[in-house]
Amino acid sequence: MNRLDGIRGGTPGQDHNARSIAALAANPACDRRAILDAAAIDKPLLMKRLRFDDRWGQSPFAIQRNQQFTDLVKANGAAHLLRLLRELLDLPIEEAGYVNLEDVGGHEGHLARHGHTRRVIKQTAEGLGRATILDRPLLRLDVAGAQVYLEPDVIAFQLGGMFHIVAIKSFAILDDQADTPKVSAAAREAAVYVHALRDVVGRDLVSHDVILVCPKDFTNAPTATTVDVRHQLVTLARQLSRLTRIDALLDRLPEGFSLDLETLSSGEIEAAVAAIPARYAPQCLSACELSHLCRKEAHLNEQVDALGRIVRDDLGGIESVTTALRVATPGEPVADDQAEIAERLRHVARIYDEAVA
Amino acid sequence: MGKLRTAIRQATAAGRHAEARALRARLREAERQWDTGVEQPSAQPPLVPVREQVHRALTLLGAPTAAKMIVAVDESFFGGQMANTQLTSLRRDEEKSYRSAPGARPYYLCAALTSELLSPARGLLALSTWELPQRIIGPLSPRTDFLTSAIRLAEHLMRLESASTGAFRLLGQLAQNIPGGGDGFGPADPAKVIAAAGAELAVHQERDQMDRREAAARAADRLKPVERLFGTGLKSVRSA
Amino acid sequence: MSLLHSYVKVRARERGRALPRATVRHIHLAEAPMVFVPLRLAGEAAAPLAAMVGTDPLHPTLLVVPQPRNRDLRFQFLADLGAVLLPYIDRISRQVETVEAKTPFDRCLDAPQIVVPSAGGVEFTAKLGRSSRFRRTTGPYAVEPAVPMLGRWLTFLAEQSEFAGSSLMVAMTDLLTAHWVTGQSAPEDGDLAALLGWIDPPDGMTGPEAAALADDPLTPPAGPDTHPEFDRQELQKAIEHYDVTGSTDQVEQALHGQLRPTWDRMWQAIGLLAALKESPGATARWERDRVHVAMHRAWIDGGGLPQGKRDSAVAAAKRLARLEAAQQSFEATRAFDDPLVMAEYRADGVAFAGEVVAVDLTRRIVPPGGKREVPRPLVTIETSDPVRLGRGKKVRSPSRPRQSATITAISEKIITVQIDDGMGRGAQPAEGSVPGVGTVICYTELDPGESRRAPLPPREETPWTHGGPPPEYVPTDDDAMEPWS
Ligand code: SF4
Repeated sequence: MNRLDGIRGGTPGQDHNARSIAALAANPACDRRAILDAAAIDKPLLMKRLRFDDRWGQSPFAIQRNQQFTDLVKANGAAHLLRLLRELLDLPIEEAGYVNLEDVGGHEGHLARHGHTRRVIKQTAEGLGRATILDRPLLRLDVAGAQVYLEPDVIAFQLGGMFHIVAIKSFAILDDQADTPKVSAAAREAAVYVHALRDVVGRDLVSHDVILVCPKDFTNAPTATTVDVRHQLVTLARQLSRLTRIDALLDRLPEGFSLDLETLSSGEIEAAVAAIPARYAPQCLSACELSHLCRKEAHLNEQVDALGRIVRDDLGGIESVTTALRVATPGEPVADDQAEIAERLRHVARIYDEAVA
Repeated sequence: MGKLRTAIRQATAAGRHAEARALRARLREAERQWDTGVEQPSAQPPLVPVREQVHRALTLLGAPTAAKMIVAVDESFFGGQMANTQLTSLRRDEEKSYRSAPGARPYYLCAALTSELLSPARGLLALSTWELPQRIIGPLSPRTDFLTSAIRLAEHLMRLESASTGAFRLLGQLAQNIPGGGDGFGPADPAKVIAAAGAELAVHQERDQMDRREAAARAADRLKPVERLFGTGLKSVRSA
Repeated sequence: MSLLHSYVKVRARERGRALPRATVRHIHLAEAPMVFVPLRLAGEAAAPLAAMVGTDPLHPTLLVVPQPRNRDLRFQFLADLGAVLLPYIDRISRQVETVEAKTPFDRCLDAPQIVVPSAGGVEFTAKLGRSSRFRRTTGPYAVEPAVPMLGRWLTFLAEQSEFAGSSLMVAMTDLLTAHWVTGQSAPEDGDLAALLGWIDPPDGMTGPEAAALADDPLTPPAGPDTHPEFDRQELQKAIEHYDVTGSTDQVEQALHGQLRPTWDRMWQAIGLLAALKESPGATARWERDRVHVAMHRAWIDGGGLPQGKRDSAVAAAKRLARLEAAQQSFEATRAFDDPLVMAEYRADGVAFAGEVVAVDLTRRIVPPGGKREVPRPLVTIETSDPVRLGRGKKVRSPSRPRQSATITAISEKIITVQIDDGMGRGAQPAEGSVPGVGTVICYTELDPGESRRAPLPPREETPWTHGGPPPEYVPTDDDAMEPWS
């Protein structure tokens, strides 16, 4: 823990949210990302310091739309949500209690709010109180030994002692079909909440089926489906446990390693980042704020990985562009374990040249 | 409107399509306002202060309500025009006024209190003239208040000689979330809404009243008058 | 994808410039294609924001929705888009010829061709079609007649684009990656500016340098999504300006700035593609496209209903089968039309090429199930390709596509095939009907003949002569009035 704070130095850490935690699992093999996230380094700020364009913002129109839709679903004591749950899960009519966990009077610190959330959720789990819908719970997660609070952008819902996570998203379900990448992203985020809620009430009391509420077709009318996030939970748990073993990764860094974005020069930041091994692949482009930096580095090192998984697999173990082209040239010396791929590459090189000629 | 139409013709003739298009949309908007104006003579609102507009909407709704709904009711039932933003600082202003001269006004727009912590419930406005239990929000209260308000709006519509289509549409939107209240398409049937909402209300009412009375007693016991209206904890008063 | 493709990628990377993937053009390119660059409002399923559209590179039509949340303005946009696209489609699709066949059928003399920047553009077009084709032109929520008509055509075109090799609606990034190989990854190739940077960089720049400009904040994305920073810094203010003043100037100016660079790139790309010679297969597929357009035209003119929301299970299965058949036939034809494409199959061992080293012209056998002896000459080829085909495999050669052959023996570098047909009726094979010693020839398991068994037309276009279309989805009042928010 102290080591991680030491790396970040005086710069404020970046708050985690479900999205950023879900993204941890996007490239589990990358040490660079693991260390930066564990140390809560502000990655967008880092990129800004290195003069990369920031493409990670969200459009104000999208933010607004999302807010409007969420407000609609929750309006009038979550009347829409109640209807959907009654339709989808046969929620009995008596189960109509709605509690906004944000209403905590004057004590608005994270700790107090989280305590309130825990208390109400536990009571509810024990069958006390009348809460069915628990809005805006402030949940907590252990990330690399640090306690992070998740933005309470979610609803927990309880039926017969079993909790579900409800995720409200403003992308449309059009003719009963939604955009797969968007659903997957929503599932990954919801899994983070399921994980955190299980921490409060126990594993068996939180369902792996989350409820996704989206606008139907081109309307604003909310509609709901269940999404199974078991797979996402496994991936998340694996990545979180990897972060708890962050010490092993830190041991490989030089003594006194620092990534204090406020005190280091941009050259020093660049060098520090370069000291942590990365695992760039084109998928990073849509998952990690550092991708443009890592891509540049990967190309400078002529890494085949940067051309995509297919190319990497096809070239069977050859890691650099130069090596690939060298072994494809007749007469060049070839290592034993590359003899087979070399022969195949020489063949394709020949027929390509023939065909283009 | 005549002027708009001329402008559209001119723009179209000159090939300024985008402009013509924009004008056309404005014309439709104007026509729509004209239609509602004809339908409901009170569409030109007299200059009622915002707090009075909120008061009459809340009186009709009969339960603590969020700003958005208050605005919607004011618009479709009273032909008023308020922006959500006009309501944001209302509760704080009322509290200030109350503190400087308690009881000087016949009513105050105040907070609803959560049953557990007696803290102001986020985003809800209530009337000081209501009994304390009416201003308590227990777990079931958002639902019972919603059903109560739907019934009261429906009853009001049945009493009216003529009402705007907007009012029926609003009721229809509420009714779709009440089992047996309507499907959300087309204008609502007030009698049906009253029956459906009444049926569900009967399920919750007793338990809800219990919670409310218990919390109200606690509030009467522990809170100062100003806190009974605006909740405990100064900090949290900021979000009206 | 093939090892060859991966190898060429590596080579392009090293060279700093895209390399050819095809020697001919595998799609039809219209003389004046309709370029359509649409943008949508972030966070909305199908809220159009703007489009640049037209057939004249120098004079695009700019359409904008100055307040994208205003439903009337959205439909006005669709009506305006219809005013550009429908006359174009009508003019072309109304010129029809009748093709003599056992069952004579109609075919348009030409067909509309809509080119969008990326697959996202096709998808968005489909959504625009879905959101407008059920609209009514009378009653409550009435829209201009052009709106539902446009919706039906956009739906038709977007559906056709799913069929491999159809040229009616095409995504430019798909076209370019089918003809060139860059030194960047597939997701990066999805960005028109980056892709074109590799293929045709400005003078004095390498491919990667030009592609890097695509990440520059000043290069607008090719849509349909806009850059969030553009939304925040320019668009939001411009829309507010419209709300206050009613003037569309600022919105138009802002969106013009976002669209024009992509517009120009589209025409740059069209120029590159036009420089390639069209393949025979592309011309043949365009003929089929023209038949489909004629059928859809007739369906609309005959009072047919708009396309349904979803296919029934049976229709969906049939559609899938047709999509697969089109894919297979397209792949085979492309390889037969283009030695560079065939090279990818040779690299993967499902095709081989080499010199004929021996021919047995006199061989005669009684074929299985037959009674009489017939000529079945053997041709032996020496190849260095890593062949993965086995004995008994049916093969064909691009140089004699109508003749089938069977592999009878295969050993390292030496393959013998038996010629099965196309040798005339005589006791001996006709002169020239069997490849001679010394000829360089290629054989493959691919069979472009699939295309002769052309996929069935889409459901709603099943000709009346084939029993007419199955029951149709009938739009309801709800569809027509579906709120659009
Ligand atoms: S972009 Fe860089 S830091 Fe991020 S996951 Fe990829 S390789 Fe790791």
